[in-house]
Amino acid sequence: MATITAQRTALARPARAARLPFTGRAVRTLAARRAALTAHNPRQVAVPLIGPALLALVVAPALKVATGGLHSHIDYTSFVGVGAVGLVVPLSCVFAGLSVIVDRHSGAQRELLAAPVPRSYLVLGNLLVAIGLSALQVTVLVGLSAIRGGQFHITATGAAWFVAAALLFTVFMYGVAETLASKVKKQEDYIGAVPAVAILPFFLAGALFPIAAMPAALTAIAKALPLTHALALLRYGFVDPRGSGLHDIWGMSNVTVEAWLSFAVLALFAVALTAISVRAFTRSAVR
Amino acid sequence: MAAERQDAPAVEAVALEKTYPGGLEAVRGIGFRVAAGEVFGLLGPNGAGKSTTIGMLTTTISPTAGTARLAGFDVVEQPLQARGVSSVVFQEPVVDRGLTGRANLELHARLWDVELTVAETRMSELGRALGIAEILDRPVESFSGGERRRLELARALISRPRVLFLDEPTVGLDPRIRVELLDVIAALRERERVTIVLTTHYLDEARRLCDRVAIIHAGEIVALDTPEALLAGLGGELLELRVDGDVSVALAALAAHGIAAGESLAIGQTLTVPLRQASAADAIAAIQGAGLSTSGISSRQPSLDDVYLRLTGEGLAEAA
Repeated sequence: MATITAQRTALARPARAARLPFTGRAVRTLAARRAALTAHNPRQVAVPLIGPALLALVVAPALKVATGGLHSHIDYTSFVGVGAVGLVVPLSCVFAGLSVIVDRHSGAQRELLAAPVPRSYLVLGNLLVAIGLSALQVTVLVGLSAIRGGQFHITATGAAWFVAAALLFTVFMYGVAETLASKVKKQEDYIGAVPAVAILPFFLAGALFPIAAMPAALTAIAKALPLTHALALLRYGFVDPRGSGLHDIWGMSNVTVEAWLSFAVLALFAVALTAISVRAFTRSAVR
Repeated sequence: MAAERQDAPAVEAVALEKTYPGGLEAVRGIGFRVAAGEVFGLLGPNGAGKSTTIGMLTTTISPTAGTARLAGFDVVEQPLQARGVSSVVFQEPVVDRGLTGRANLELHARLWDVELTVAETRMSELGRALGIAEILDRPVESFSGGERRRLELARALISRPRVLFLDEPTVGLDPRIRVELLDVIAALRERERVTIVLTTHYLDEARRLCDRVAIIHAGEIVALDTPEALLAGLGGELLELRVDGDVSVALAALAAHGIAAGESLAIGQTLTVPLRQASAADAIAAIQGAGLSTSGISSRQPSLDDVYLRLTGEGLAEAA
């Protein structure tokens, strides 16, 4: 036993060199793994984009021609082009959540659970990739809308609002997807929840028309949806500097205050769903 | 982070229990200690509680009661530290098939905070030692079952763990690959100086690799000793025969002649008789003297299956 102990000492690890704190390194490692696996499955990148791209390329311009647009200062092609973000981000996040179920069924999750990193890092690593993927898809979508004649009014401040809204909404949606993946054990049951989670809000949150165009009861429901606030901020950033969407929600005279209020709502939802998803994952992953 | 205790046992489990939702008691008060450098086996059939025990020790399953420590770190109170000193190869293959072998190893190295240059050296060493150096840069989906298992072993060892858990490492592999992998695992102990906790339902694995074996039945340890000591309890030779008639009469006849008194075991019409001082002929004569006929007579050395049978009334193969 003394010999084994002596040899164990001789094999001890060398002192650590200065490098990134372990926290960042662990999360980056998990994100890199998820990114590599996603790259191995290009459908995960392309498929969520198909429907929203059709909206931007075909539906919005056609509706504009057929109906004459919104009868306001807002260009309908860019209005729907940005509205389609409300579909691509949820679909992309739902796909990402499916990977969590695949990891669980394949056993890969168990290997990660045995790693000396906090369990929350597994969620955060996946979230980073979901953000990157959504950023790519949103960029493509806006580009397609611009190609089809969408009119955008982009300033530095507007871009900041747009990026902040897209980021917070992605964080929120990934939290929803991760929570759902932790609660639902089977892939088919998870897929069955997609319409309620990713598609229904799209039709209520002002993606295709202003929420004020709906009956009062539905407008009230829309105001409670994070997507409504996200779309209003996205359009305020890139399409409508007057903030008509924000005004439909808050009814105030100061659009900047309205923007910050919607930002706060989105931030609250994003933080809450991230916390819920980490808790749900931790509780479901360890039996 | 508290420093690991060099004087602590590598693994210490005290009254571990696990009851799953629905009331299934998978582990019922298991306790054992494993010294540093030891190869310790958990032997039992499927459903005995081996994998659940490993799960609790590796923090992937939360205990209902009891405590466990790895190199002095409590698995519930200090889970990160406990995971940091251990590695596990699970029963199901868990490599990322979409990545290369090298990428799988690098992932593990980063998560266990192994410095990159050290990790690269370890990958080369382990690749050569485990015979997978030539295929590390191929996608894992192209690996055979045996190659994936070797990759998993390499991955588990890259961080130089204090404790290596192997959960049924050869299950599902064909016999030739099994033998090769057993050779690899046997060499690990000398090469890596690592404590190994191994679960298996294969008797040859337990006998060949383990310094001590804990026999698990229905969530409890029913025996714990070296394989030799467990087998010594049955003597050097077993007589096995079928009895045509009432086996209790045969058992009584053996006892009356002072042969394996209280040690003979009847499963159906088959008697297993540990021969110590008596001979096979004496035992057969005693049974036939009671008016019973015998058939299918054979003698053999006792195995761990016989030990298990004696302790639980079931064979390992039957229980599985």
